[in-house]
Amino acid sequence: MDNVLVSMRGIVKHFGDLVAIRDATLEIRRGEVHALVGENGAGKSTLMNILYGLHPRTAGEVRLRGEPVTFAGPAEAIRAGIGMVHQHFKLAPSFTVAENIILGAEPTLSSGRLDRNKAERETAELSHKFGLDLDPRAIVGSLPVGLRQRVEILKALYRQAEVLILDEPTAVLTPQETAELFLTMRSLAASGRSVVFITHKLREVLAASDRISVMRQGRIVATQDNIGVTAEQIASQMVGRSVLLRVAKGAARPNGEPALDIRGLSVRGDRGALAVENLSMTVRPGEIVGLAGVQGNGQDELVESIAGIRPLVAGRIAICGLAPPASDPMASRRAGLAYVPADRARVGLSLQSPIWANIAIGHLSRFRKGPFLAAAAARRHCRELIEKFDVRGASVYTPAGSLSGGNQQKVQLARELTRDTRLIIAEQPSQGVDIGAIESIHRLLVAKRDEGCAVFVVSADLDELMSLCDRLLVIYRGCIVGDIQAAEADVEEIGRLMGGSGADGEPLRTTVTA
Amino acid sequence: MNGEADAPRRTALLARIGRAVGAPLFAIAVSFVLGGLLMLALGKNPLTVYAALINGSLNGWPNLSVTLQLTTPLIFTGLAVAVAFRSGIWNIGVEGQMLMGALAAGIVGYAAPLPDWAMAPASILAALAGGAAWAAIPALLRAYVGVNELVLCLMLNPIALLLTGYVSARVLKAPGPTNKLPDIVDAAHLTTFTLYSQLNSGIFIALAVCGLGAFFNVGTVRGFEWNLIGLNARFANYGGVRVRRNVIGVMLTSGAIGGLAGAEQVLGVYGAFYDNFSPGYGFDGIAVAMLANSNPIGVLFSSFLFGALNSGSSVLQMELGISKYLVQVLQFIIVLILSARFTLTWPIRRKALVAAAPTAALPTMPPAEHGAKEA
Repeated sequence: MDNVLVSMRGIVKHFGDLVAIRDATLEIRRGEVHALVGENGAGKSTLMNILYGLHPRTAGEVRLRGEPVTFAGPAEAIRAGIGMVHQHFKLAPSFTVAENIILGAEPTLSSGRLDRNKAERETAELSHKFGLDLDPRAIVGSLPVGLRQRVEILKALYRQAEVLILDEPTAVLTPQETAELFLTMRSLAASGRSVVFITHKLREVLAASDRISVMRQGRIVATQDNIGVTAEQIASQMVGRSVLLRVAKGAARPNGEPALDIRGLSVRGDRGALAVENLSMTVRPGEIVGLAGVQGNGQDELVESIAGIRPLVAGRIAICGLAPPASDPMASRRAGLAYVPADRARVGLSLQSPIWANIAIGHLSRFRKGPFLAAAAARRHCRELIEKFDVRGASVYTPAGSLSGGNQQKVQLARELTRDTRLIIAEQPSQGVDIGAIESIHRLLVAKRDEGCAVFVVSADLDELMSLCDRLLVIYRGCIVGDIQAAEADVEEIGRLMGGSGADGEPLRTTVTA
Repeated sequence: MNGEADAPRRTALLARIGRAVGAPLFAIAVSFVLGGLLMLALGKNPLTVYAALINGSLNGWPNLSVTLQLTTPLIFTGLAVAVAFRSGIWNIGVEGQMLMGALAAGIVGYAAPLPDWAMAPASILAALAGGAAWAAIPALLRAYVGVNELVLCLMLNPIALLLTGYVSARVLKAPGPTNKLPDIVDAAHLTTFTLYSQLNSGIFIALAVCGLGAFFNVGTVRGFEWNLIGLNARFANYGGVRVRRNVIGVMLTSGAIGGLAGAEQVLGVYGAFYDNFSPGYGFDGIAVAMLANSNPIGVLFSSFLFGALNSGSSVLQMELGISKYLVQVLQFIIVLILSARFTLTWPIRRKALVAAAPTAALPTMPPAEHGAKEA
């Protein structure tokens, strides 16, 4: 087939003892949007990094336009027409759009100086050609994330990329920005280029791609045309068994006084600016409330202040009717808070410690006899929880760091959900977790809701929030700008709110529901 | 405990012991090989030299008692450093804390108007307080101002030396040519029990403190929390451990144990506070703690090794005409290799976390970070 642009055959990649890719075979055709999906750790990014020359392959063959190629580094891959936009952008924030785009391939005057005019003209032409509106003179650091991504894409196109690899491009985008990105991808494909789109969001795969390849455990297990394929089928291919994507749950019955009651909260971010400003919200027992928002709009700071890790500037946080002193995690926990942090490696777990120690810390009052530690009792308790929460392949002595993401999350949940608690905050509960494990994590949270707990979920995954939560709050620049029943939620509407415009186009201020 | 649970426990325990013992033994072996090459270069037969070292430190009670005498202060200082290291705190100011403890013991030991039975305990308590007080300076500045304790501790060492020198040479100087405090009263002396050395009952205090430390680490809630602070301070804080308060506690404990080393020297070895008495026990304590991987029982072994090397070194000079500093070269190579291992773990850290995380007992991040985070 002469319309095959890239063909990767029998690719194998070892990192030391770890086999990241075992025998992966992938063909990318001219003019297609090719989705590469798989669970975290399936090897998607690694496979594409091999194509982009970042990693040498251990075995296998890569052909570009029919010719066998081996790239010693990204520079060679770029010259051959391969471009990649990574999850974390690699831009110089203090430079202009044009400067970023030409960086490394600068047009020069005969004197050897940078030809700024030409750079800006070419940037403008390029952005016009692909319908990616950008001001060539804008400073990149001042652009919103969606536009920065355009700079990255233009940067690759400026280098004549024929194959454009996008690694998890929608993770930082609002639904509207995502829709625009999909249009861009479509027009790039129409111009004869190939787009490889790495993701694990199934809805996006179905919406945006021509063909879909599924990776599981370092292999491409299926490649199919995107015709009549369902999300369930892809999910099953990803996991290797059938999965239930919708969260099975009954109607919420919120009742009683709010378990979490925040009034007029202001919190500073790490840089000293107010990240949360005069925010009020409540979560009542028996409901799951989700917090939607583009990352970096104050979600982290809000949660940390509830957990007592971040000091308040103003306002009041009441947990189960008690107002624990600010910045005292112990007091927040005693008031009835269970908190599952997003950053498992640095906050939620001690990776070098055995599982039993990671679990014991949430229950020290149970496992102490005066000043002494009842380690044997803690280990016994831990053994029960490992069984109950189905932490696979682990003993109580296994260091938390040697568990997979999903099992680490189960250890966190085992610790937090078994405490005597009325309020659960789960931050990115399914991040880095296998689909199979996501199912059981969602079931656990719904079960706690039905027991009468108030559950507050913060997630970057809007699909997850819409299926898991009973009520959605939308946060924008540290303010709650929307409060919507999940059953009535409309993605378009939430997307507008996440992007900072209310239904009437103006940013909303805080709404309070009591 | 049932049989099914025993197997993983035994495996985990064996793996831990293997990891804990493997690296130190490797470091010792390499340092002896390199030291041997050095001796060859000096035209000496390494086997003769090592035989002399072992002979001079272990053969017969006279030699052994000197070794034990030199081991005792290293147990205290090694333990003091280990307590801090295990919690991720770089207390390298044990030398200064020991000096201040020694000064306090020396003053109380000659001047306190107490009944005889109370003199020794009171002097020891004074040493504990003196060491802790000197450690309180970096502890408080670290906890409340976010100053890096490493630099502070290092700078406080010469200050302690000069301060104790000033007190013993000017303020409370005993009559005579030597810069020292007056002799302590007889009742304040720790019992000595051999003619061959100044070995004294302080070694039993050292063993007891080591045993307590070992139990504290595994058997108490505080010991559990202190270890978690060392492994991941943000996690400890999230889990409800009051990090700032505990970091101060760690520093004071570490300083107090360092002060005990001073008490043993003054009350057991010298009978008075002498200016500049320490050949650097506090600094050797850092090496001892590193070699012991911050484990109190390990401290016993590593301080005995260092004590034996120090004690055997005097023989080298007399019998073979080799500088006694050769022994220090060996000790430095051990530390060098241990720190190399420590640095080498950084690049493979990510992989190591996937495979099998080592139980590192040394501080693995600049400890000022968690202080700042908390503040």
